[in-house]
Amino acid sequence: MKAFYAEISKLLSLPGIWLALLIGALAPAVVAALDSLAQKEDILAGVSTRLPEVGYIGLGFGIQGVIILGVLAVSSEFRTESSEGAGGQQISTSLMVVSSRLQLFLAKAVAVSVISILLCILAVILIVPTTRYILGDYAPLLEWTRLAGAVCYWTFTALLAFGLTLLTKQGMIPLTVLMINSSLVSFSVLLAKVTKLAFYLPDRAGLEMFMFTKDGVAPAATGSVFDSYHTPVTGGLIMFAWVAVLLGTAAIVFHRRDVAA
Amino acid sequence: MSVSSGRKTIRVLRAELDKLMTLPWTWTAVTVTFLVHLLLTAAFTSASLQEGAAVPEILNTGLASMSYLQAGFIILGILAACSEYTGGQIRTTLTVIPWRGRQLFMKHLALTLITIPAALILTASGVLYAGWRLGGHAAGVEPHEIIQALLGATGYLTLTTLLSAAVGALLRRTLPALVILLGYYFIISPWSRGLLPAYFPDTAGRYMYLPPSSGELNILTPVQGAGIVMIWTMSLVAIAIVFYRTRDA
Repeated sequence: MKAFYAEISKLLSLPGIWLALLIGALAPAVVAALDSLAQKEDILAGVSTRLPEVGYIGLGFGIQGVIILGVLAVSSEFRTESSEGAGGQQISTSLMVVSSRLQLFLAKAVAVSVISILLCILAVILIVPTTRYILGDYAPLLEWTRLAGAVCYWTFTALLAFGLTLLTKQGMIPLTVLMINSSLVSFSVLLAKVTKLAFYLPDRAGLEMFMFTKDGVAPAATGSVFDSYHTPVTGGLIMFAWVAVLLGTAAIVFHRRDVAA
Repeated sequence: MSVSSGRKTIRVLRAELDKLMTLPWTWTAVTVTFLVHLLLTAAFTSASLQEGAAVPEILNTGLASMSYLQAGFIILGILAACSEYTGGQIRTTLTVIPWRGRQLFMKHLALTLITIPAALILTASGVLYAGWRLGGHAAGVEPHEIIQALLGATGYLTLTTLLSAAVGALLRRTLPALVILLGYYFIISPWSRGLLPAYFPDTAGRYMYLPPSSGELNILTPVQGAGIVMIWTMSLVAIAIVFYRTRDA
């Protein structure tokens, strides 16, 4: 428990975290507002095909916040200080205080998850009045099951970022890969055009948890990016499997690897 | 020993080139970008082969991965600027080269010298690959169109690298610079396309390499696009130099 509090306090004292929290909390509402404004006329006329996505699309992009959170949680530990500061790394201090590596790993993973869950809930709380204000009675109903899916998606993504950074020990590669992949030009969307296997990639499968409803399935002819492929539960399980495998690998590597190497 | 000003400048340039060439990350970034680019081009090519119905265009397919490719060059630019600030190298640099404006300018010049060949090889390999795979199916392309598109793409990537280096020099830290630039190029800009006028560095830059017959509304000519990106890059480099001269290292 003490290790967990320590991780929370370490995380919240990082300067970069405030950027992450700001993006995670505000970006979804802003994106949802822009999207609602852009679609308002179509929705009022009843011709919009994207009504079920309107509020949720922000949650798909606010994910940037938790990606930064997961990456920073690890990369800050491995940042090498200047040679004038004896070239130390925070991780050696952390391991001296919490001598069990597994305990440190778990404490950090739990801290990242808890902050992501809270952040996602905050983002949802901000989205609801925003869409209500712009669309009035036409605002899509935010269902609990889909919102729970969104919370899972955020937490899993944060954990993926956390595990990837633990493997690479620096933030640049995971940050680049994950940020590009969660943008409009995602690798998985591109790969899905080539092979059906791409639907089993973690982000594509994870989005199924909340982005696509059954009645929102577009006919295949439209070629929409957001065609549903799995059921929400299967999508969640696939993403969870990825997270479990990645975190397992990261835990083993972290347990066995020399810190200074 | 007194050295003439021109000789001094050349020495600074050589020192900056040396530093960039020996930075392991430079080569990692370029190599990884190259491999990812080939993979993506392969994916785009087979996707456009599968779509079948429409006649695929070699240039469009070969340059389709440009939007991903720029990430590698953004990283290259940020690393060139921010690597000075890890481990206190900046103090050594400034002790040896106390002319700050000239030093930062020469760093950008050295970066340009490295980026231009790298970007040219990368873009040309993509177009070559697409041309080879699509050979029989594609619509014909004039050689001068290919050359123009390749020059535009190379110029765009080089200017993007320089812009990232300037932002990196302003922020002095790798991760925040990376978050801001990737966030802009990959999240904010694609989202706001259509809302904002085409005067931002990436939207204007698209006109530098996209072939004019792509069916979209062409607001800018390639030269206008290049001019706009150049103005953005130049002003950011200038701002970076002004701050660099006055700020405590």
